[in-house]
Amino acid sequence: MLKKLIATLALGLAAPLSAYAASYQLLNVSYDPTRELYKAINTAFAADYKAKTGDTVSIQQSHGGSGKQARAVIDGLDADVVTLALAADIDAIAKNAKTIPENWQSRLPDNASPYTSTIVFLVRKGNPKQIKDWGDLIKPGVSVVTPNPKTSGGARWNYLAAYAWALKQNNKDDAKAQAYVKELYKHAPVLDTGARGATTTFVQRGIGDVLLAWENEAFLSLDEFGADKFDIVVPSLSILAEPPVSVVDKVVDKKGTRKVAEAYLKYLYTDAAQDIIAKNYYRPRNPAIAAKYADKFPKLNLVTIADFGGWTKAQQTHFADGGVFDKIYLAN
Amino acid sequence: MSKRHYTWALLPIAAIAGQAFAEQGPSLEQLDQRIKILERQLENQKEEADAKAKDAATVAAGSNGFSIKSAKGDYEFKFRGLLQADGRFFLSDGPAASVRSNDGFLLRRVEPTFELTLGKQLFFRIQPNFAPDSATVSDVYGELRLDPAAVIRAGKFKVPVVLENLQASGATAFNERGFPNELGPNRDYGVQLGGALFGGTTSYALGIFNGASDGRDGAQQAKTAGDNRKEFAGRVFSEPFKNEPGLLQGLGFGVGGTYGTRERGTVGISDLAYRTPGQNTFFSYVSSGSVFTQSHGYEYRVSPQAYYYRNSFGLVAEYIENAQQVITNTGSKADTLHHKAYQGVANYFLTGEDASYGGLTKPKNPLGKDGYGAFELVARYGVLDIDDKTFPTFASATASASKASTWAAGLNWYPVNNLKIDLAYSLTRFDGGAAGTPSTVVVDRQDEKLVYSRFQIWF
Repeated sequence: MLKKLIATLALGLAAPLSAYAASYQLLNVSYDPTRELYKAINTAFAADYKAKTGDTVSIQQSHGGSGKQARAVIDGLDADVVTLALAADIDAIAKNAKTIPENWQSRLPDNASPYTSTIVFLVRKGNPKQIKDWGDLIKPGVSVVTPNPKTSGGARWNYLAAYAWALKQNNKDDAKAQAYVKELYKHAPVLDTGARGATTTFVQRGIGDVLLAWENEAFLSLDEFGADKFDIVVPSLSILAEPPVSVVDKVVDKKGTRKVAEAYLKYLYTDAAQDIIAKNYYRPRNPAIAAKYADKFPKLNLVTIADFGGWTKAQQTHFADGGVFDKIYLAN
Repeated sequence: MSKRHYTWALLPIAAIAGQAFAEQGPSLEQLDQRIKILERQLENQKEEADAKAKDAATVAAGSNGFSIKSAKGDYEFKFRGLLQADGRFFLSDGPAASVRSNDGFLLRRVEPTFELTLGKQLFFRIQPNFAPDSATVSDVYGELRLDPAAVIRAGKFKVPVVLENLQASGATAFNERGFPNELGPNRDYGVQLGGALFGGTTSYALGIFNGASDGRDGAQQAKTAGDNRKEFAGRVFSEPFKNEPGLLQGLGFGVGGTYGTRERGTVGISDLAYRTPGQNTFFSYVSSGSVFTQSHGYEYRVSPQAYYYRNSFGLVAEYIENAQQVITNTGSKADTLHHKAYQGVANYFLTGEDASYGGLTKPKNPLGKDGYGAFELVARYGVLDIDDKTFPTFASATASASKASTWAAGLNWYPVNNLKIDLAYSLTRFDGGAAGTPSTVVVDRQDEKLVYSRFQIWF
């Protein structure tokens, strides 16, 4: 009884003091390979925010194929922020769930993409199949691992990079580019739902000769499983991937977390966060930080999503139901 | 199936493939790749199936009924049911057919129940009854569940007054409820606010209804003479030790009541008739002829009540006082009549099952599984006492008894889940209620000696 009384009194006295420090919990719904990145970012941001405001922030992470994650948010998953693989997935949330305004990309610098990445090849050590460029992927006996573009953002970047190379090789002949991509997916025996699953297929299950991978995922595989097991091959042409971020307005307003959620995303552009981004093998936007880590990232020729008319058009043409991917994959 | 198992399962395929291509065919490395690909495809299919299973609705079937529930649990459809096939046999010979008009076999209740939970806040229930010649609807109501402490219910449902009446029909100790039920309302049309307070230890309900006659259902939009204009009902019931295991954990007590007014119409009170355990009417007002009885003013009911359950033993005790203002159609005499009823019902499971207000659907040792099912002894004593001022002006002493006392004992057998078979005997004695010789002489109505049984399926 005495203990209860003391505890009650202590709580009563502590309450007015603690009223000045708030505690927040955010949910970051992200795409597949960013687990390690956001684990590091979240720790740094929580410390930074605590130092600046006195408030405590804990951030939960959810990862999966970017398309699947967007679908989960549309279906009601209460994400405070979404950090997905491509703008089309956040556009889909804005369009279908109406929880994000359509101008979401204008609210943060660089089209709300705090870092970029690209697509490279991860091959087995010594590159036994001599895979050097996109054309080598459809040679007889070559087995390619890539996720499913219907569920994975990374897979859509893979597809578009391959398509861009084929267009260039064939003087922008769409039919020939489609024929190439059709042949490419004939060489892909397993379509995982996300990029991390594809990495597991290639690295841990030992399937395939080449993994079409996010650059960061390829480097991470070297770090984790040993540079003596895999090599990274940089193709002659790839695509500039711009994974974007956004606050989910309806959720943060309901939960009262807008201030801290916006601070979280703005933090991604700080020097400290850009440094973490580079260390995790994503290409930082900040020129100074990019220069600092320039030797980590190979230089390559990049097309952009603008070359496909933007994400809305690319999504509709290639990945929507009945689009090019459906036609070529079903035909296989 | 584990990865190892997949590997073994796929080996024959690989072997056959290897044989077929032996002359020109794939190398061991290629075969190894094929196996790995198949394994990974199976792994992905399993992951996909698991993910889909998480989002899929679940179907459940058990002794509490059948249900389909959405993955998040906020949408649910439940199907439950109650079948009661009864036999009533009057042992004594009697001169009046009306004394034993309900002798024989009957379907007492045939009630499928459909319940839908729509989101976290909406609930809908409909319970028709196909036992009568013309099907009726027992319960039909919707609920807006704002909070466990604030649930708004609208439709037709049991008025929150009499303890045994609020017990599920499949859970009562005897085939018929006792005398307090005759003085209280049954189901009625209305709206009610209710909920649970203090960690679920106290429940309350406050409602407004059309007004139901004693022991009967209310009518829709009742406006005929003699019906209540509106009736307020309320009940509070507490189980203060519910969450504290111990001697008093199963103790619950409370009080229910109603208050309403009746219009003074031009017809007599014909819808009020108090019944014996054999469902024979032993009291009614004079409702026809040159001088008959009409409602006139208020009617209120107050019912203190309690139960106690401890291990295999249970006891339900309740009292009700019913006050109703009546008048003769000529206006020559008016009065406020106070009728009273009380009862105690005890039950005890010989086979060790826990007794509860919610009843039993699963015996510990069902028949055929090293057991004989559950056996329950039940006993009742009850009295219904009509206000002496009722006679002779408002009711005939030679046609209606002024008091009925009953005791009953029985054995309930639950051989398997969801089945109950019972056999009971009741003896009901009356004060007055019959004519002697000459016919103006009041004598006691003949005792009702009743053997009754039931075959009940309840889930």
